[in-house]
Amino acid sequence: MTSSPQSSPFQHARHSTNNIMLMVVAACIPGISISTWYFGYGILVNVLLSIAFALSFEAAAVSLRERHIQAILADNSALVAAVLFGLAIPPGSPWWIPFLGMGFAILIAKHIYGGLGQNPFNPAMCGYLFLLLCFPLEMTSWHIPSDALSDVQEFAPISLSGLQQSLQLSFPFLNLSTFSSNELIDGLAMATPLIESKLAGTSKLLAAWQTDQSMFSRSSETAWELVNIGYFFGGCFLLLQRIISWHIPAAVIATVLTLSILFYSPGGYTIYGTPYLHLFGSATMIGAFFIATDPVSAATTSKGKLVYGMIIGLSIYSVRVWGNYLDSIAIAVLLGNFSAPLLDHFLRPRIYGHKKGVAGPAGKGSDGDLGMDS
Amino acid sequence: MRLVENIIGAMRGKAGTPIPGGIKPPDYKQATLRSRLMPTPIPRELILPLIQHGSTRTKPLVKPGDKVLKYQTIACSEATGIVDLHAPTSGVIRAIENFAIPSPLNKESMCILLESDGFDAEIDHNAITDYCSLSYLELAKLIEEGAIFGLGGEGYLNRLKLSSGKAVKLLIINAAENEPYITADEALLREKAKLVVLGAKILQAACMAEHCVIAIDSNNTDAIEALEQTQLNCPIELIKVAPKYPTGSEKQLIQTITSKEVPSGKYPADIGILMHNVGTAYAAYQAVVEGKPCISRITTLAGPALQTPKNFETLIGTSVDYLLELCGLNQQDHTMTLMGGSLMGVKLARTDVPILKTTSCIIAASNAEFPPPALEQACIRCGFCADACPVSLLPQQLYLYAKCQYYSELISHGLNDCIECGACAYVCPSNIPLVQYYRASKEEIGNQLKNEMSSAQWKQRFQYHQYRAKKDKEASRESKKRGAVAKTDEAVQSAGSTVQNMLPTFSRESAKKEIAAAVDRVRKRKTRLIASSSDENTESSK
Repeated sequence: MTSSPQSSPFQHARHSTNNIMLMVVAACIPGISISTWYFGYGILVNVLLSIAFALSFEAAAVSLRERHIQAILADNSALVAAVLFGLAIPPGSPWWIPFLGMGFAILIAKHIYGGLGQNPFNPAMCGYLFLLLCFPLEMTSWHIPSDALSDVQEFAPISLSGLQQSLQLSFPFLNLSTFSSNELIDGLAMATPLIESKLAGTSKLLAAWQTDQSMFSRSSETAWELVNIGYFFGGCFLLLQRIISWHIPAAVIATVLTLSILFYSPGGYTIYGTPYLHLFGSATMIGAFFIATDPVSAATTSKGKLVYGMIIGLSIYSVRVWGNYLDSIAIAVLLGNFSAPLLDHFLRPRIYGHKKGVAGPAGKGSDGDLGMDS
Repeated sequence: MRLVENIIGAMRGKAGTPIPGGIKPPDYKQATLRSRLMPTPIPRELILPLIQHGSTRTKPLVKPGDKVLKYQTIACSEATGIVDLHAPTSGVIRAIENFAIPSPLNKESMCILLESDGFDAEIDHNAITDYCSLSYLELAKLIEEGAIFGLGGEGYLNRLKLSSGKAVKLLIINAAENEPYITADEALLREKAKLVVLGAKILQAACMAEHCVIAIDSNNTDAIEALEQTQLNCPIELIKVAPKYPTGSEKQLIQTITSKEVPSGKYPADIGILMHNVGTAYAAYQAVVEGKPCISRITTLAGPALQTPKNFETLIGTSVDYLLELCGLNQQDHTMTLMGGSLMGVKLARTDVPILKTTSCIIAASNAEFPPPALEQACIRCGFCADACPVSLLPQQLYLYAKCQYYSELISHGLNDCIECGACAYVCPSNIPLVQYYRASKEEIGNQLKNEMSSAQWKQRFQYHQYRAKKDKEASRESKKRGAVAKTDEAVQSAGSTVQNMLPTFSRESAKKEIAAAVDRVRKRKTRLIASSSDENTESSK
């Protein structure tokens, strides 16, 4: 780059890509905090491990590609991918889960395509899906430190032993804490049969209110709802900061809501679940506000974003209710990624002075010849 | 009628329909907004470029050593659409040669160097007080003689705009200058609102517009007040538009005021609308009522490197250096000089260049307000640019296609509709100089079109050549046949044989050429078909 611009404009707004990425991470903090409160240090360990691996892989890839390492690490895009990935994998995953996931995400899903801005698929979700296909057992068992979920030590603060257990789970070779694997609770959340109770039950938050229970009590099972509310507020922060546009989250949420209302059968204990729990009892909020809005792999026109969001919402609901997987954000987002280029091609805004979004050929010269000659 | 309805809506105080996109950059106008408009002292030398606009030169009527008076015509137009050049002050012509002109590239052009004598002696000029009695043609002629052209910065020629031959429904006087730093229009309106309104009336009469409105930024309170105080009994309405850049751009302002869009590739006159800058209106007033041709303009001198930024009524041809000195240029802070605003202006390669009729602003930049651009990062397709684009283009897609030189996609994404306002590059978080990519692509596409046109021309010539060869051959065959029928004299035969001797070699050569060309064409088409088949499929399926 030259030291000063050659042509106008000579002024620049304050936004920078580095800051945008940092803001996304900052907006995750409420959700992360609530998750950690309920599911223990495993969440934090996951996130931190993922960040460490992601930055190392990014640095390695960038140096292999002979680019400026510091400048590219400073764009914080690997950081965002790592945080989202770390939140997606189950707490208590052994260290090689984030290692392999971030390796796949950064090396294969991102840098093989040419790095930031070039990847057609969301790297974090690619890494997640890769692991889900290769290691389904590890990816579906939520190990939660025993005291984090025990009725006996209700409302216990996150204890040192919990941290030890989390580290022990992540680094099985450490021998920090002694407990047999039978003691581990396979979480309240993610195992296959539980999705039914999770979505088809009533709102735990409401229950907690009605029974005068503290909603922050770990026995109240309000975890998922509060986590989603945390992500919802984080997403609203991003909207207010105009870092993301409303189109994608609105379309995802509206589609999931519409479908869940359509198929909702009150009284029947079916997996269709209540609309409220479809939005707040699962991973819909983080998916709608944080994962689907990854700008690089999403559709980029306003109309395109709406359709893109609808495709994701439809996939989320379909996979969740009729499919084999637990929750479906990763699959839905990748399906959306597939459709994004097509949406961008066909759903362009109408250009000033034109009837359509497609401008005709310039002058009378045959337009088709122009691009091919070079 | 929708147009009239909108005008009425505007009269009721509605601010028109805002443009899509747009940006609200810090406008840095405070420094110059309230300063008094003052004429510059007459500089010792004035440089007057013979090319005032476009590429057509005016023909000098004077030679070095000649004495000239203020307002005297010193160069006249030869082509239509070019205005005369007048001496801004009295003095002696010192040279007619190449001098540096404002450009980013150290460009030089033929200029008249006028050394002022300090007397500022005027040539006789007749003021017309009773301009209302003049016909529109006479008015248009007077305006043309006033050597006015669009003083808004784009410099479209006045006459082309005035007498485009189409019925004009609406004349818009554009005072909506929302580019940062520029306060020239505000200063003019604040101090000479009455004359501007008179000028607007004259322009309206000259183009026989049914309606005339003055569009102004709603936050420009001083100028609005000044305009409202000119209680003229004329049907000129004041429309306040949202101060959003680039609302002041011609097509965008038309959209704001009338909700109409100028069809792509057409002019506002095609939909019955004409737009002039307030500076033009003032110049029209001077030309018609005072009989003075345009020899000066209002120029803002702004920027952090100036101690006393202000607005000047400055003579055309005054050197930028001279003006910067007048405002107390701080040499240490000064990093670059811009001509025009900070978003659409031009970075001057050197500052010993003259003020032109289109120079609305000079900015002396410093690192504080104009930091060197940050590193260009990867496009993350955030879409901020698309949100900011006033033409509803997709700058992120254009950037993609510009980078891989995919010209047909560029055109179908509306590259030619880009007004280069710079809103996209302003908001880009990755510091991508988007407009630079578009300018380069436009130029490249222009070159390709030129090449295509020349190849088409050669093709035509070649085909004509073939046609002629065939004709000659037929003619000779005809004459041969006739010869056989008549069984005839030697004279005819010899004539035929000469034709025969000449033609076959001629046509054989052309035939060879033709075959080679055909083979080449087929080969090209094949590769092209292969290359474009996938793209073609998606196109056609649509």
